[in-house]
Amino acid sequence: MKIRAAAAATCVVLALAGAARADTADGDALIGRDWDAIVETARGGEVNFFLWGGSDTINRYVSDYLGGVLAEEYDITLNRVGLTDTVEAVNIVNGEVEAGVTDAGSVDLVWINGENFRTMRQGDLAWCGYTATLPNDALVDWSNPAVANDFGVPVDGCEVPWNRAQFAFAHDSATLPEPPRDMGALLDWIRANPGQFTYPAPPDFNGSVFVRHVFYHVAGGADRLLGPFDQALYDEIAPQVWTLLNDLEPSLWREGRTYPTAITQLDQMFANGEVAFTFNYDPAQFGLAVDAGIYPDSVRSYGLTDGTIGNTNYTLIPVNSPNKAAALVLQNLILSAEAQLEKARPEVWGATPGIEISRAAPGIREAFADLPSHPSVVPYDELAAAALPELQAEWIAAIEAGWIENVGR
Amino acid sequence: MSRLPGPFLALLLVALLLPLVPLATWSVAHGWRFPDLLPRDWSLDAWAYALSPTAGVLRGLGLTAAIAGAATAGSLVIGLPAGRALGLYRFRGRAAVEILVLAPVLTPGIAAVFGLHALFLPLGLTNTVAGVALAHLIPVLPYTILVLSGVFAGYDTRAEYQARSLGASPFQVLRHVTWPAIRPGVIVAALFAFLVSWSQYLLTLVIGGGRVQTLPLQLFAFAGAGRADVTGAIAVVYVLPGILVLVLTSRRLTGRSAALAGFGR
Amino acid sequence: MRAARPWLLLLPALVVLGGLFLGGIAMAVARSLGITPTSGLSGFTLDAYRAVLSDQDIGLSLALSLWIAGASTALSALLAVPAALALRRVARGPVTFLFQLNLTIPHLVGAIGILYLFSQSGSFARLAHAFGAIERPGEFPALVHDPAAIGILLTYVWKELPFLGLVVLAQLQSLDRDFEAVARSLGASAWQRFRHVTLPMIAPGLVAASALVFAFTFGAYEVPALLGQNHPQALPVLAWRAFTDVDLDARPEAMALSVLIALVSAGLLWLYLRAFRAAPR
Repeated sequence: MKIRAAAAATCVVLALAGAARADTADGDALIGRDWDAIVETARGGEVNFFLWGGSDTINRYVSDYLGGVLAEEYDITLNRVGLTDTVEAVNIVNGEVEAGVTDAGSVDLVWINGENFRTMRQGDLAWCGYTATLPNDALVDWSNPAVANDFGVPVDGCEVPWNRAQFAFAHDSATLPEPPRDMGALLDWIRANPGQFTYPAPPDFNGSVFVRHVFYHVAGGADRLLGPFDQALYDEIAPQVWTLLNDLEPSLWREGRTYPTAITQLDQMFANGEVAFTFNYDPAQFGLAVDAGIYPDSVRSYGLTDGTIGNTNYTLIPVNSPNKAAALVLQNLILSAEAQLEKARPEVWGATPGIEISRAAPGIREAFADLPSHPSVVPYDELAAAALPELQAEWIAAIEAGWIENVGR
Repeated sequence: MSRLPGPFLALLLVALLLPLVPLATWSVAHGWRFPDLLPRDWSLDAWAYALSPTAGVLRGLGLTAAIAGAATAGSLVIGLPAGRALGLYRFRGRAAVEILVLAPVLTPGIAAVFGLHALFLPLGLTNTVAGVALAHLIPVLPYTILVLSGVFAGYDTRAEYQARSLGASPFQVLRHVTWPAIRPGVIVAALFAFLVSWSQYLLTLVIGGGRVQTLPLQLFAFAGAGRADVTGAIAVVYVLPGILVLVLTSRRLTGRSAALAGFGR
Repeated sequence: MRAARPWLLLLPALVVLGGLFLGGIAMAVARSLGITPTSGLSGFTLDAYRAVLSDQDIGLSLALSLWIAGASTALSALLAVPAALALRRVARGPVTFLFQLNLTIPHLVGAIGILYLFSQSGSFARLAHAFGAIERPGEFPALVHDPAAIGILLTYVWKELPFLGLVVLAQLQSLDRDFEAVARSLGASAWQRFRHVTLPMIAPGLVAASALVFAFTFGAYEVPALLGQNHPQALPVLAWRAFTDVDLDARPEAMALSVLIALVSAGLLWLYLRAFRAAPR
């Protein structure tokens, strides 16, 4: 009798557990629900957060700070899964959905933007329409087109901003006190100083952004290139860009016969003085590299005065995540002014907030204003003054393919 | 006859050890840029990070060991009878079996892995530790069978018959006759099987889908991200178990052992 | 019943190797031909092979992979013979241990070590700077991420030389020294003794083991991924890129590439082993 009762109880518990699990896989059942109820559903669960894993400081922030708050306040276990390339996570979700795994996927949250976001949108792999459910959604300025559009693709409630980023160059002020400040001057400098400049081969994320800056330069600004992909316009500008870049090759590192395969290879070459510049979409990386002893203290960074491309990066919940409630709690935490402030500290990460600081509580606003700046990291406001928008994903794909075809071979 | 290595051999030994030197040095370096021959500062930061729970390196170490342990156990359970069959029996079709056993070793590792992923996907084995351990049987099993068939080729079954005729049960025979005779060979096979699984990269990456973060995956991620100090620390953690295994088996490890071929695959 | 016994003992191994290895290859072949056995969909097509073979880079990648596998196998084998001969003459123990050491060290670790040693700002470049041979990193010869794949070759030779050396050493040790002594007493020169006595006896082991090396280096991903150029890329890197393409339509191309890698490797190994079997001793 006792045994039978125990078995029955086990069945009930299992059924409940199954129900709870199904509940958080079923996203529509969560949208619009009371936030406290969602938190209660998430309590005691886990969330699998997939993100690029190559920075020990970012890893620490995610595992220790975000994971710590989740564990303490919500009893949620955060599993950080480090990726070499975000496309790996997109592939996991894509493969699972293709195989019919619609409610037991392995990815609950992914750090994403640009082409990968476009892929997930096109493949209906992103869970959408939930952002207003998050209390801290109030801190997001969705009226800002640079936030509401991810590389020209409308966000449409399918992801939540994490950081703002803007492209910047780094140089060593000890060996190069006065770097060229705009694209024309940079190209002249490269021709005058052969062998000391190169860029990672697209489709490397940062190499691709550099090529887009050249594209803007040739097109005489960003304005003509915005909007949907225009084959005629591409055919007009692209050949000029390829000619310019091919003519530049004799002045590049190894005479342009080869290119670094990844930004990190360029970073290593810069660290050792093999080249005079590196660049990054996330200038905070320069400060972290100085602190880690990779770059000399004399490294400084700046944005081109004729404009630098900016973007926003986001977190996204895949459509087949089985832990959507816990993922929502994590996203809300990521958006919180406290977590954004912690992330903005130079020694933690130094990332520019994805939220609107002016909407945060007065104490937080002051704390943001009092943040020390890293001497090697160009202030965001300075970059923002010359901000250029990103192109739409179709443009980017065409430019990357064109570079590989015409310059990379 | 000289007992010291000549200049050629000495140079060779130094060259073979050389790649480990910058890795070990980087793990305790802070700021080591061209043209410095030695790091500017020494630091244990990379080790502190690598050994912290955040990095997951220790978890990766446990996971890599668990997968290698499971693959080893599985390959012994499957390989012992197979090794006995190949070592003791002459039968029709033997050549075909030998070809199948050798085929995974003679075929580039990338040949079967994508197809295996497609095979595992509907079974729910992708992105799981179990799936990765199962997949590791492909490179591990051939070596185990080869070593064990060698062990059984030199094994005399008459002792088993004698024990049986003296009234021993099959289990007693296994325990008191067979096992003591094959034990040294089985231990070597097990250690080698462990190391073959230990060094798998692509198989784990594809079948594990990035979810199964063994040490080689973590090492590749940090090497790719240009963090030479953390890379060095993980590399040291990664190679130590193998060196330990070698200390235990160095004497047995000669080119005559088929298991030799299994290292680092 | 007795005839069935070895088959019974072999059954688990045959099921596992047949299921995982042959099953994986069969699945790759099926997928590369557009056939999806699991869902019963069958749309036989050669599109993936057409796409892969019409890519103007495929020839360059094939040549690069053949160069990497051929050169690293040949170099390792060439160096393994004198290494084994030298090793036979010295005390065992520590020397053998050192020689065996990197058998246990995964390729990935070796590749990273080679990168830190041989890059243009690596240890050797710094030594060159210390001796005044170069002023800037760019003046140091390009040995990694280089067109000749020198860094990749160095990694493979570093890893495979001890393996082949130990195989040869084992053959030397089982070789009857009397043959060499007889040859010497008959007035054979050192070269003649090596060519006509020693080499024929070590050749079978060396040939078999170098076949393993070729198959491995032809299909390995991580070393060329870490030390290769952005263009052209080794075949396995190309296959991995197709496999991870966000466009799932590229998956059959990855399968086709992996099938082609297996076919080319199997064909070359067959020719190689046949040539040695037919060669006069």
